[in-house]
Amino acid sequence: MIYVNYAVAGVVFSLGVFTVLTRRNLVKIVMGLSLMEGSIYVLVISTAYRRGSTAPVLLTPPHGFGERALARGNVADPVLQNIALTAVIIGVAVTAVLLAAVVRVAQHYRTLDADDVRELRG
Amino acid sequence: MTRPDERELVSREPVHRLWVGAVLALGLGAGLLLAVLDLPDDTAPLPSIARRAMVEALPAFRTTEPVSAVVYGFRAMDTFGETFLLLAAVVSVGLLSRTREPRHGFIGEEKAGAEEQSRSDPQEQETAQQREARAGERVEAGEGDSPATPDDEPVGTPAPERAHAMTVVTRLAVRLALPLLAVAGLYLVTQGYSPGGGFPAGAVVLGVVLLVHAAFGYPAVRPLVRPGRTEAVELAGAMAIVLLLTLGLPLAGSFAASWVPLAPEQSLRSGGLLQVFSLAELVEVASGLTLTVFALMGMQHDWAADPEDES
Repeated sequence: MIYVNYAVAGVVFSLGVFTVLTRRNLVKIVMGLSLMEGSIYVLVISTAYRRGSTAPVLLTPPHGFGERALARGNVADPVLQNIALTAVIIGVAVTAVLLAAVVRVAQHYRTLDADDVRELRG
Repeated sequence: MTRPDERELVSREPVHRLWVGAVLALGLGAGLLLAVLDLPDDTAPLPSIARRAMVEALPAFRTTEPVSAVVYGFRAMDTFGETFLLLAAVVSVGLLSRTREPRHGFIGEEKAGAEEQSRSDPQEQETAQQREARAGERVEAGEGDSPATPDDEPVGTPAPERAHAMTVVTRLAVRLALPLLAVAGLYLVTQGYSPGGGFPAGAVVLGVVLLVHAAFGYPAVRPLVRPGRTEAVELAGAMAIVLLLTLGLPLAGSFAASWVPLAPEQSLRSGGLLQVFSLAELVEVASGLTLTVFALMGMQHDWAADPEDES
């Protein structure tokens, strides 16, 4: 049933895209981007999952697992877990920069409506 | 039927091309669903790259945790790039959140206007609203008549509480939880399943700082988060990472190669380069995240013209 996770990731990503496309409030646009990020974490962690597997740790495997079973690959995918870790840090950093920019826009233009921020329009 | 004053309170949500957005998002969603159906399911064999990480973590780095071996070993170059992405983000937030005036000897709005005010209308008195706002500003800056530390205020003092802190219940709970959390963070980076938890431990350090801030107020964390000092710590972490990975070039033949001697697994020094890299990452992530969060919280009013004042 891992496809349910995949589908949820797809739906959440589309919700994020919908938010970015239709909202004009800058904070909500940032929230839409965060939704898209979150869906990627769900997708990556779900892709790393293996049925009946254990954590990718080479130490006292749980009952029923031999030491060899771990090395044969009866574990969750460590590379994808690492990619999720990377994605979380990047997500935090990008969200912080966006929010800082949003606060500045709000202070300069006295609005959060993206449609009112049009000083650069020719 | 809403009364006119009620109607004004309901915020109007600005929406842009709702139906176009809905159709596009639905179309994208359908495409994504088709795409994920083609992904391997949870019984597929691990990709060869993951199997290689599992098999080689122990011989290559003497670590029992392949995820750390991937983060700081096999994909060290990626982590290196990511570290500097984080640094770039911290610098961007720092630049964006700074006021345009120079930090030292700036002329505040009030000071700049005081002279003109005394010329044009020397008789004007401070209104009650202005007095209240200025008193509030002084309290926020820590100059008010609030007790020096929240614990100086006797328990049972009637509200409003003037100290920059939560109630005694929250303070006690945080005092009990803080050492546990701090030790858990340090355990993540030094031991865990095996050494190498710099990123999560950095986030735990930020959590500890934020808990102190929430429970005891800004004065309690001010020395910890002073930008001048924390920026230096963060850059020291970044320099250490550059140095550690570059030393691989002369000592082990390639950038980011492990040149630190390997110790037996499950010991403090196991993992070779992984452990020192992860420690430097702890410094970098903890100070970077702290700087970012406090820069965002402390964003002051920028010197922008208020359209209402101009008219």
